Amino acid sequence: MRDVYAIGIGITSFTRLEFPLSEIAAYPVMMALKDAGIKEIDHLYVANMGGARVNHQTGLASAVVDTLSLTPAGAEVIENGPASGASAIKQGFLAVASGMHDVVAVTGAERMREVNSIEATEFVATLTHPLAEYIYGVTLPSLAGMFTRAYMEKYGVTSRHLAMVAVKNQNNALLNEFAHIHQAITVEGILDSPEALTNNPFIADPLRFFDCCPVSDGGASVILATREVAEKTGRPLVRLAGIGQATDTHCVHEREEPTDLLAVRRAAAQSFKMAGVGPLDVGVAELHDAFTILEIVESEEVGFFKKGEGHLALERGETQIGGKIPINPSGGLKGRGHPVGATGVAQAYEIVLQLRGEAGKRQVADPKIGFTCNFGGFGNNVVCLTFAREN
Amino acid sequence: MKREIYAYRCRKCGHLHYPYRMVCAGCGDNEHNEFDPEPLPRAGTLLTFTKLYALPGDFEVPTLGLGIVELENGIRITGQLHIDDPSSGMKVIGEVEIVRSEEYEEYYGMVFCEA
Ligand SMILES: [Zn+2]
Repeated sequence: MRDVYAIGIGITSFTRLEFPLSEIAAYPVMMALKDAGIKEIDHLYVANMGGARVNHQTGLASAVVDTLSLTPAGAEVIENGPASGASAIKQGFLAVASGMHDVVAVTGAERMREVNSIEATEFVATLTHPLAEYIYGVTLPSLAGMFTRAYMEKYGVTSRHLAMVAVKNQNNALLNEFAHIHQAITVEGILDSPEALTNNPFIADPLRFFDCCPVSDGGASVILATREVAEKTGRPLVRLAGIGQATDTHCVHEREEPTDLLAVRRAAAQSFKMAGVGPLDVGVAELHDAFTILEIVESEEVGFFKKGEGHLALERGETQIGGKIPINPSGGLKGRGHPVGATGVAQAYEIVLQLRGEAGKRQVADPKIGFTCNFGGFGNNVVCLTFAREN
Repeated sequence: MKREIYAYRCRKCGHLHYPYRMVCAGCGDNEHNEFDPEPLPRAGTLLTFTKLYALPGDFEVPTLGLGIVELENGIRITGQLHIDDPSSGMKVIGEVEIVRSEEYEEYYGMVFCEA
């Protein structure tokens, strides 16, 4: 296999976007090509989950490649639920590593705010098992609520710990001009104040409003290429060094240990093994905090902390931008937003930016290894990426 | 006729599945459809639960109780709860009832009450 480098990155604002889905997907490619200083690609991968259902658009990749005047480059859509983004990056990696292509663009995009939040939640709920989950009214927040309760009862995680994740990530998002949520919150304000029940109502008990990521529009792109092409850009070399992916049972109730996220554990281990590094080498990470509990549990399953101790590391401030292992400096899904198909690519965008040392006010001190965890379904399809800065 | 929800027992190794899958998770034997359906028992223990306040559009109730129950044969199932004050470890008993109605279709599933 040939080495593969991330040579260009681009992103849109993750607020409500009044552009067609194809433009939300295309704009960050334009930015990423400009960032890399190139104009041509061999192939385009578009990560998207809801185009057909939410935006009534199929064949999205053909529309994107055309509006960018990149025809006749090959193009296709990759759909893998909320892990579509990292899956598309994986496909791009394989194309370059195999020698089939030298330069590919990967973009992820979603336009979810075309529908109201009930319809958006309903659309995401189609990820669940049709007969054994969906018919009961099960949504992703309800799976997360049940998981959170089991975790709290087993490991002593409290609502306060969950709120600390929300506060940290929304504070980080204040430093990210592209983030969806620009609102400073405090643990007192969303948990203890008399207004907490109205400003932070329950969504899926014990999860409350501020424990859930927002419904967002947005797009992000990464250009992947060979070392030869990467060196010509004259930019810091960031290599996509490891990729891991694992699946788990479709139904959450079938998992032997209800508090484990085995697909996260396995995907992370694979990704680190391929990169030849360990979790403690990671200097910056973007984890999939669609619900606050997930950041805590993923930080354990990928190996940053022992199982059941992620909330203690959070309490000690170890996951803050200035901490031992900064998690979600971008604001994460909670603060940056979660346009489902775009999220995995947006995570990679942040890690490349951080490894280059270009993250401005939210820059983590000199990271050399960066890591992303993109979580599909309720943990039934997880893709983890490890990036390494080489110079 | 009493409605049932079925688990599926592999004829080769005896592994019991719920819900149905095409290939046995126990032995991986890939002979198609070599399963015997077995009605799920009704009694079980509540493992975890949530009260959902943000409901799918077609549910005309203010909140919905959902939980994962371990049935007495060890099989776990996700179901609706009709329990005012649920707690993990609580003994529950299920009935097969309509759990969701759409325009042309009604779906039956397991609804649990306190035992
Ligand atoms: Zn079997």
